[in-house]
Amino acid sequence: MSDSYLRFWGVRGSYAAPHETHLGVGGNTSCVEIRSGDHLLVCDGGTGIISLGEELMAQSDIAELMVVFTHYHWDHICGLPFFQPAFSPAWKIKFFGPGDTAADIEKRLSDQMKAPYFPVETETWMADIEYIEPEAHGLSHGPINITEFNVHHPGVTYGYSMDVAGKRVVYVSDNEVQFLKTSIDKRIHEFDEDEHELLERMVSEQRSAELAAIENVDILVHDAQYTPHDYSKKRGWGHSCYVDTVNLAIDAGVGCLYLYHHDPTYNDDQVAAIHRDCLQIIRERNADMECHVGREGLKVEL
Amino acid sequence: MRAFFEQVAGESDFELHVYDSADDSLTFLDTQRPDLLFLNVMMPNKDGYTFLKELRRKDLHSDTPTVMISSKDYAQDRVAAKELGVLEFVAKPISKKAIRSLIEKYVGNDPSAS
Repeated sequence: MSDSYLRFWGVRGSYAAPHETHLGVGGNTSCVEIRSGDHLLVCDGGTGIISLGEELMAQSDIAELMVVFTHYHWDHICGLPFFQPAFSPAWKIKFFGPGDTAADIEKRLSDQMKAPYFPVETETWMADIEYIEPEAHGLSHGPINITEFNVHHPGVTYGYSMDVAGKRVVYVSDNEVQFLKTSIDKRIHEFDEDEHELLERMVSEQRSAELAAIENVDILVHDAQYTPHDYSKKRGWGHSCYVDTVNLAIDAGVGCLYLYHHDPTYNDDQVAAIHRDCLQIIRERNADMECHVGREGLKVEL
Repeated sequence: MRAFFEQVAGESDFELHVYDSADDSLTFLDTQRPDLLFLNVMMPNKDGYTFLKELRRKDLHSDTPTVMISSKDYAQDRVAAKELGVLEFVAKPISKKAIRSLIEKYVGNDPSAS
């Protein structure tokens, strides 16, 4: 086993789904561990981070980690109040996420633990906590270089590109792909004929921007929350239809795609059907991209 | 979006400065206050909200009239823009006619009357 790996601790979007019919995929919300030797980076603090915390408390090899948040919607932070290392003086924890200052990040994370929402506040954390001041030159955690970028989701939301063990891993938990294109399709009647070419250029520019962040990456963990049918009802909620996700990844030359942020209403069979359809799309496009279901507990060697 | 603005400018007599990123625009905005600033939300390296907050801290741009334009047609983005004091949040796509209307509304002249 390599000492560098990615491990899924929570793969659901929106809310936890601890139902018997869902546990093959997993019921916890967003949390992914990236490990490079003794350096531990965590993407998001959904309910998946609770189990990660329990495992960390049972070992003594490391006592330091960094958590980066894509944004502060509940499914990405609600495990943090139960993250045991934060309550232990033996640990040093760094937090980063959207915000103009370190104080912004602290406020957004700690507000969920204030009365009347939670019994103990972040003041009870005994770990050495650092909120990282946003800098223009990017982040690093040991040998892991981290770059954040904006994605298409309500409010300011980041995706993260990480260089780990010679591989590029990109984590995009929440992203509504192709939103502009569908907006244009819905409003095309508002435009004159001579503007249609301009609209095509606008879509092309947007597509280029979407692709740029994930171009030729080795591993992409990406929002694939909805089926086409459900997306038609939930367009504008900030999440992708899996068809758009898999096509985006193929177009970007991604090496391996992990479908992520599964809708909590989908059981194991429904997620398996989504996966089969993604594989069919890859075959039909004669692409050689790997595609897997982001599954709780799955460990991917880097 | 750049092409829409360039065509409108070509058909009008207002002066247009277009930049592909927040940082690129500083070559102009460090010394100039436009009559109207159209600002995208999702830009390379820096989002429009962060950039506008930085601009607002400068005396020159404490009240620069700003219209935000974005494909992010979400309620939370509209609220974030409103909290920064923008004149309007306009969802992409936006037509040439709509661009002309915004300029006429906030700059006060008919941009097609050259």
